[in-house]
Amino acid sequence: MEKMSRVTTALSSSALTGHTMHCHLDAPANAISVCRDAAQVVVAGRSIFKIYAIEEEQFVEKLNLRVGRKPSLNLSCADVVWHQMDENLLATAATNGVVVTWNLGRPSRNKQDQLFTEHKRTVNKVCFHPSEAHVLLSGSQDGFMKCFDLRRKDSVSTFSGQSESVRDVQFSIRDYFTFASTFENGNVQLWDIRRPDRCERMFTAHNGPVFCCDWHPEDRGWLATGGRDKMVKVWDMTTQRAKEVHCVQTIASVARVKWRPECRHHLATCSMMVDHNIYVWDVRRPFVPAAMFEEHRDVTTGIAWRHPHDPSFLLSGSKDSTLCQHLFRDASQPVERANPEGLCYGLFGDLAFAAKESLVAAESGRKPYAGDRRHPIFFKRKLDPAEPFAGLASSALSVFEMEPGSGSMSWFVDTAERYALAGRPLAELCDHNSKVARELGRNQVAQTWTMLRIIYCSPGLVPTTNLNHSVGKGSSCGLPLMNSFNLKDMAQGLGSETRLDRSKGDTRSDTVLLDSSATLITNEDNEETEGSDVPADYLLGDAEGEDDELYLLDPDHAHTEEPEYVLPQEAFPLRHEIVDTPPGPENLQDKADSPHVSGSEADVASLAPMDSSFSLVSVSHALYDSRLPPDFFSALVCDMLRFYAEQGDVQMAVSVLIVLGERVRKDIDEQTQEHWYASYIDLLQRFCLWNVSNQVVKLSTSRAISCLNQASTTLHVNCSHCKRPMSSRGWVCDRCHRCASMCAVCHHVVKGLFVWCQGCSHGGHLQHIMKWLEGSSHCPAGCGHLCEYS
Amino acid sequence: MVSVINTVDTSHEDMIHDAQMDYYGTRLATCSSDRSVKIFDVRNGGQILIADLRGHEGPVWQVAWAHPMYGNILASCSYDRKVIIWKEENGTWEKTHEHTGHDSSVNSVCWAPHDYGLILACGSSDGAISLLTYTGEGQWDVKKINNAHTIGCNAVSWAPAVVPGSLIDQPSGQKPNYIKKFASGGCDNLIKLWKEEEDGQWKEEQKLEAHSDWVRDVAWAPSIGLPTSTIASCSQDGRVFVWTCDDASSNTWSPKLLHKFNDVVWHVSWSITANILAVSGGDNKVTLWKESVDGQWVCISDVNKGQGSVSASVTESQQNEQ
Repeated sequence: MEKMSRVTTALSSSALTGHTMHCHLDAPANAISVCRDAAQVVVAGRSIFKIYAIEEEQFVEKLNLRVGRKPSLNLSCADVVWHQMDENLLATAATNGVVVTWNLGRPSRNKQDQLFTEHKRTVNKVCFHPSEAHVLLSGSQDGFMKCFDLRRKDSVSTFSGQSESVRDVQFSIRDYFTFASTFENGNVQLWDIRRPDRCERMFTAHNGPVFCCDWHPEDRGWLATGGRDKMVKVWDMTTQRAKEVHCVQTIASVARVKWRPECRHHLATCSMMVDHNIYVWDVRRPFVPAAMFEEHRDVTTGIAWRHPHDPSFLLSGSKDSTLCQHLFRDASQPVERANPEGLCYGLFGDLAFAAKESLVAAESGRKPYAGDRRHPIFFKRKLDPAEPFAGLASSALSVFEMEPGSGSMSWFVDTAERYALAGRPLAELCDHNSKVARELGRNQVAQTWTMLRIIYCSPGLVPTTNLNHSVGKGSSCGLPLMNSFNLKDMAQGLGSETRLDRSKGDTRSDTVLLDSSATLITNEDNEETEGSDVPADYLLGDAEGEDDELYLLDPDHAHTEEPEYVLPQEAFPLRHEIVDTPPGPENLQDKADSPHVSGSEADVASLAPMDSSFSLVSVSHALYDSRLPPDFFSALVCDMLRFYAEQGDVQMAVSVLIVLGERVRKDIDEQTQEHWYASYIDLLQRFCLWNVSNQVVKLSTSRAISCLNQASTTLHVNCSHCKRPMSSRGWVCDRCHRCASMCAVCHHVVKGLFVWCQGCSHGGHLQHIMKWLEGSSHCPAGCGHLCEYS
Repeated sequence: MVSVINTVDTSHEDMIHDAQMDYYGTRLATCSSDRSVKIFDVRNGGQILIADLRGHEGPVWQVAWAHPMYGNILASCSYDRKVIIWKEENGTWEKTHEHTGHDSSVNSVCWAPHDYGLILACGSSDGAISLLTYTGEGQWDVKKINNAHTIGCNAVSWAPAVVPGSLIDQPSGQKPNYIKKFASGGCDNLIKLWKEEEDGQWKEEQKLEAHSDWVRDVAWAPSIGLPTSTIASCSQDGRVFVWTCDDASSNTWSPKLLHKFNDVVWHVSWSITANILAVSGGDNKVTLWKESVDGQWVCISDVNKGQGSVSASVTESQQNEQ
């Protein structure tokens, strides 16, 4: 055989060229076989038997071997094989059990040579001896294999598999006398051609029929078998017992298997049903095909490598009546397409990352084949795209942890657990939360809480009545422009993001006609003296006038107009220093220009569109305090909340919303609030912070949210004595007239938290039961049950 | 910034293609070319193998956890053209459903937001996307979008649940009228947005074009209090885009190039608060990105396989933050 291959190689010493191409056949193909010159291919099927020349760009029909008007059943081929030594010799296996040989050298149109009608049923396979010109082997559905000498009219010997149908027969390439046969019952037999009486060895290779087998072209001991069990197995036959060395799982039953030339670990398979693709596998990587040819639209029935030493050309015939030439480099490579990395952002900000471990190792692991030097042939190995995948790929999976501050969510949990949202005065809540935030190193948030406290809880600020709510409403818009400020002047020293632009052209529908330059100054002075964190841009407050005047005047002119300036997104001051206000005179000048210097804080306060009722009284209070009214800030607070939400800190948004309650709620539209609540609750639940989540639900004012708590709140109680459902309210069972929920420890009726054992249904006060079970593991009721409190 | 806390010994016999943590971050599911899906308990830095799920006949590409309100459910998709839905019952994991409606490898699975019920979107190499809806009693309803992406679909990602208008406006007792949407990325270099019409049919709503090669992953950002919709996409061309849509009514999406890498970018993944994007590329590196105040995306950290390293910009961005 060694000699043989050399001869073959020498014959086709020029490199094969060609393209991926296909041609249409007249009928479905059952089998194909390549001439040893690699330039012709024979296609055989139930109603086709043709030879095609493989040209550079196309297949060209050379010869139709189906001659005669009435093709006999002898021409209905199940298999075809082209002799690898004699270019004129072909053999076919007919579905009626006939084995036919063909001599292309015959001068007549009919090339049929010999006819062997010895098998009783379909012949599944024919095979020429690799180095003996006249020896032909056949395997049939009738369970027999026959060896023919083409110089004689009858078979030389008959081998009985002693079992069901023979699916494949293959001469060993290396061992002159050996052939392998595969059977429908899952067995593989090894025969010595000289000993037809019994097989040399037999083993069960597959679960179910073994459809095909192929000897490794180089490694003498290796036999690949494919079966209906969707597996391809590679056996080492050199050992005493056939040893399974590789196993490839395909996704459909394996109809054909062919070792890839020059690639020690590669083999091509096609399937009998379902799957129309041809796969090339690296047997060391049994899970993913190295390459895949997807051209066929119906079952692929025959595959053949075009040249025994060229790994790049594969020919195939199919039930879809096409003949294809596939180029390995055009194959789709599932491995290439496969995602080598997995990435997942965990809940706590941790990151799971799986990456291929041997990206580099695989490259360097490329090694030349042993057969290389013996066959210095045309193929450029480096182009072989399959080789980099040699060997098993593996991945390393690591979980990364974020350090606090970057992406870790530990702050979220801590904050959620420690924040106080209700039950204390606002100032305390703010202080507490500020402290929590500061302890967690979240200074910006801490600062925000502090500012909120200052804004909303100045000492003198008493909760205002809603006296003016109606006052604020119903006013008309479009009042004459009264005054305007240019805040830019004032914003000096502030971070750019705190700029609050207000153009001169803003419509200010000021109503209160006051001349309050003095007050304005006072106000500004106050701001300074307080040393608060209140951003300077709010100073425009031009807090004018005594409140009573304001109060008196307002009813006529209060307005609901929306402010027309727009805050930049990051409008919320991140960290403020006390900013020196611009020199008074300028400002005064500005005001003096306008005829009505007035209480524009009213509109400032009514920033949010929904707000039509703001309290003017609070303005006056603020003035008592020499402060600005909290409402004045609500727009900014709202913007701040939005800012936090956008930064992914919906926790802050919701917490502030809850703590401030009515003070800001009306300024943020319902839908946004709901969305925040829903997001926050969802987050809390993901972190299993059920209590906090419940608190938030409880404290939320949005109907859609608070009703979350009202789902499935029914508790069905059965009497612990008579086991009947308790129909009436109260704790006395109607039927047995006893108190149902007695504490097993203190024998009093339990009202409130009642804990009971699911095993024996006894229970009682939570405290009592817990205490009891600390000392005893038995039920306090004395029923003998071993209760457990978890 | 980032440190390895755990290297999980998965004992997978081949490459791992996906790793997903569950809703509570306590379990990690991995899938591999070796046809298996494994589930690990990773609480407290541990790694206890809980289940080794066998049933696929080809490499398993992706896994997805369903919301825990439906129980412990995991979906996996494979090269064998199947989607398998696994469920834990009494501590053991079993296959509850097998979907075989695709003609080629199924590359991506993603569960819809829990508000819609149990709906699974599957993207396949046959170009189709199928939507499996649980209709109760072990029955799954299948809808298929054929030719969603020519040559194949590589990734699907659901939009977070959004209700048009306030919840309050919904007629009480009725299920809110959700607008269901998801994004898909495919071999036609496109990202497509799909929307369920009122008649229950899925319609292509938008085509986002920017990539010049296969789109490998799309990730719709969780909407945590955000008014804008954001999608991250990555591609074979090495580019990562962040798409935003400020105005839901006009539905115009604008891309912003996050970065151009030198190699294929395989995955993008959002942190749960949607402010950090993790990107993994062909060079075995994960980078973390954050949007700075001026709207630029900055790399705040890169994680090399096996070790964490801190890039200089981290400190900067932290300062910005505070």
